[in-house]
Amino acid sequence: MSGKYTPKGPIGRAVHGFEETAIAVMLGLMTMLTFVNVILRYVFNSSLIWSLEVVLVLFTWLVLFGVSYAFKVTAHLGVDAITNMLPRKPRKVLALISGGVCIVYALLICKGAWDQWAPFADLPPTTGHWFPTGLDTTSRGRSFFETDQIPMPDWLRFLEDWINYGEHYSKMPRVIPYTILPIAAALILFRICQAVLRVWKDQDESLIVSHEAEDAIEDVAAMNRGD
Amino acid sequence: SCEDGEMVIKFSHVTNTDKHPKGIAASLLQQRVNDEMNGKACMEVFPNSTLYTDEQVIEAMLRGDVQLAAPSLSLFESITKAYRLFDLPFMFKNIDAVDAFQASDTGQEMLDMMQRRGLQGLGFWHNGMKQFSANKPLIEPADANGLKFRVQPSDVLVAQMNALGASPQPMAFSEVYGALQTGVVDGQENTWSNIYGQKFFEVQDGITETNHGVLDYLVVASVDWLDSLDADTRDQFLTILDEVTTERNADVGKVDLEARQAIQDAGGEIRELTDAQRQDWVDVMKPVWSQFEEEVGAENIAAAQEFNAQN
Amino acid sequence: MEVLLLFVMIVGLLLIGVPIAVALGFASIFFQLAFSETSLASVAQSLYLAMAGHYTLLAIPFFVLASSFMSTGGVAKRIIRFAIACVGHLQGGLAIAGVLACMMFAALSGSSPATVVAIGSIVIAAMRKVGYTKDFAAGVICNAGTLGILIPPSIVMVVYASATDVSVGRMFLAGVFPGLLAGVMLMVTIYVIARIKNMPKGEWLGWGEVYASFRDAIWGLLLIVIIMGGIYGHPWIRFDGGSFVYWKGGAFTPTEAAAVAAVYAFFVASFIYRDMGPLAATKEGGRPIPLYRKPLAIITAFFHKDTQATLFEGARLTITLMFIIANALLLKHVLTDEQIPQSIANSMLSAGFGPVMFLVIVNVILLIGGQFMEPSGLIVIVAPLVFPIAIQLGIDPIHLGIIMVVNMEIGMITPPVGLNLFVTSGVAGMPIMRVVKAALPFLAVLFVFLIMITYIPIISTFLPNAIMGPEIMTN
Ligand code: NA
Ligand code: NA
Repeated sequence: MSGKYTPKGPIGRAVHGFEETAIAVMLGLMTMLTFVNVILRYVFNSSLIWSLEVVLVLFTWLVLFGVSYAFKVTAHLGVDAITNMLPRKPRKVLALISGGVCIVYALLICKGAWDQWAPFADLPPTTGHWFPTGLDTTSRGRSFFETDQIPMPDWLRFLEDWINYGEHYSKMPRVIPYTILPIAAALILFRICQAVLRVWKDQDESLIVSHEAEDAIEDVAAMNRGD
Repeated sequence: SCEDGEMVIKFSHVTNTDKHPKGIAASLLQQRVNDEMNGKACMEVFPNSTLYTDEQVIEAMLRGDVQLAAPSLSLFESITKAYRLFDLPFMFKNIDAVDAFQASDTGQEMLDMMQRRGLQGLGFWHNGMKQFSANKPLIEPADANGLKFRVQPSDVLVAQMNALGASPQPMAFSEVYGALQTGVVDGQENTWSNIYGQKFFEVQDGITETNHGVLDYLVVASVDWLDSLDADTRDQFLTILDEVTTERNADVGKVDLEARQAIQDAGGEIRELTDAQRQDWVDVMKPVWSQFEEEVGAENIAAAQEFNAQN
Repeated sequence: MEVLLLFVMIVGLLLIGVPIAVALGFASIFFQLAFSETSLASVAQSLYLAMAGHYTLLAIPFFVLASSFMSTGGVAKRIIRFAIACVGHLQGGLAIAGVLACMMFAALSGSSPATVVAIGSIVIAAMRKVGYTKDFAAGVICNAGTLGILIPPSIVMVVYASATDVSVGRMFLAGVFPGLLAGVMLMVTIYVIARIKNMPKGEWLGWGEVYASFRDAIWGLLLIVIIMGGIYGHPWIRFDGGSFVYWKGGAFTPTEAAAVAAVYAFFVASFIYRDMGPLAATKEGGRPIPLYRKPLAIITAFFHKDTQATLFEGARLTITLMFIIANALLLKHVLTDEQIPQSIANSMLSAGFGPVMFLVIVNVILLIGGQFMEPSGLIVIVAPLVFPIAIQLGIDPIHLGIIMVVNMEIGMITPPVGLNLFVTSGVAGMPIMRVVKAALPFLAVLFVFLIMITYIPIISTFLPNAIMGPEIMTN
């Protein structure tokens, strides 16, 4: 089985630390914001009208950002009952094929994420159904689209000139929460390529883990193992 | 389902197909398009948010993934602030005044307001006038003071609740029934058909007939899609849509009354207000207008008021 | 025909070792691009909205987090002590106590694997010490752990409610009786086996121990009261005239209850039990530090590395689960777009299937699907397919939900994809196939239970109907 992931080098460790902290902080913020709104309503008969939407954006960011991390540490769930029965060679071949499928998946998501996000940033989406065949410069911008309730912080006002032709934003534009899409898609592609490379170099056996909560139970398992 | 060579019109909406005013209208439109435009066009209806919710559908339409939708007017406020007109409390006396305003030049101009954003309004579909309900009797505006009301995430509706001294609460629609039942929130505002359809009357002390706001839908398509149609097809389609709109809107008062009656038959308490009592509510809530007058346009407000006098 | 291709593709991808989420997503995207006009941008929007557009699914990270705080925070071990004090003296008492502890932990936690880890990691070792075979211990915990999704709160119920728009609050109530019934059936089975095989029994430690262990576990068990009382309301007293004792309404929605549970579990773990965080004992077996000696802990606890690690653990589980659900939603979108549910519904109805036959088919689909899929993903796909038919056949949507949950329980302890099997094999240090064999006798009990649940709807519907009134379908 794939062991616990250990980052290499100072940059690797810094990136790893950043990813784990960001993931923990986003979940922490979601929980506290929801909790605070319960207290505000029940005790103070009040509410943060934007809290619901912000929590949902954080939830989305947490998962989309976290997916690439989970590819990095081989945490995604899969079926290994069949592949485990095979000898090493064919098993590696299947692992590489499934790696190829994952890469194609990530490439498609990358195109989709860009096409979805770009109009909100007043940038052109790509043309083509399967593959990007060019830029669709005739496409209408959607930079005017605002979120429902998330307030617009003043330090983001430069966006009005950059993408909204000087028009005022009364709420945060949707381009901000959507920005996670191209970022996450690119990261997912990158992490999948790394994972496939690991399989290629025999440093890992597959892209999936079949033991959920493996780390959490390692110690206990060691305790129980002595027959 | 659709044959080869037929233009596919996907219509995504969020209600049932046979009881809700919007669902009924969508089904009628589907039937007429598929009968009368057979061979040229074919309409597929996706009800109950199975394809997109109202929040998602406008984006999907601009991408070309869906051709027709009818989200509630408040969803267009993030695109055109002028649509806040319809959310302002006591802007319209009754659904006939709404209808007359929408048919007027000012109303028809509102259909074209989002053209530069790539959206073309094709018509307004009524649901009806909104009523307040809560877990205690609401007779005076002061009765709402301190209560927690679930509202749609719209600045106008938040301001309206603040004017009443009530606390506006954000809440996903799917959680409203449970929250009203267990008392997490005290009240809500909606039309007769929604209060009946969502069974809110079961879990409220009663409904006060305030008619304080309007809940309407905008049938909308993308400019690019409409431009891509050949003139004959487009005209035929728009004519059918207009006829369906007129037919169903004329009937909406009846649907409303039926829902109101059904609530009463099911044991729901309905409280009517005297003119003096209603005026108290108007006095408390109308100041909200001034907050939004600039965005909505004083001339639009004036135009809307004209039709209150006539209806 | 094309749909068959779609499903064959998914199963094929799964079998060669493609991650579940990617197998679902890849096949759906491929199908969508090949057979419809839908754009890749729409796929990206769907992935985004899997989270942003499904408010009820928010309960998942919160319940996962609450479980994670309770496992690391010492709630589990106190519950086990209480369970042993209550039933440990019976024949097969430790095994029965294990089931009881699983039931209690299930009432705090929304997930089955979490229940197995929390209870199993302590109880299996303890059972082996007093002479139970490892297989028996693993079989018991593996099965009892499945109650995690039947006894409320439950992540799988949240997913079902989100997929079909029924009330989460109703689903939670509906799980109470079936959960208790399944637990009792398991305990009775163990007792009978224990009598036949003359298994060890513990000592009766007296009412003093029952009381002491209860008092120690109360902070954990109080969470049950907080969740249920917070959602459904609770008695309260007032001094301003009127009736002195009255029923006070709920404080939060089921989703918010999950967030409150997480914050409460953090609070109990860091400040009361102090098994983690800045007040934890500095050395193994030492005493925790009292708050007055380290008052700054009130602030530092939020940023302590234990807190961060627990948050991170909860988040990691959420991420892998939600990635599967998000891609399952892509598949659901394809099926809807192709109007598959309608055509299946029509052919089933025109074939003249009644409710009885229909429920058999649902059970078979879910049992087969459960062999390959993770429960939440499977529910996202199957619920929209069968829900409209069930409504037409007059089956109560809440009853259907409980049937699905029980099927998911069984799916969790059958290979090749059975989360509880994986976790139990990890916790017990046993190969998966041996766990499967060990779980078999109790699996039979769950099968009998499934048949009872399927054909006696009142077990599921009684409580929600009594408390919330009968469900009327108006849409
Ligand atoms: Na549970
Ligand atoms: Na299984």
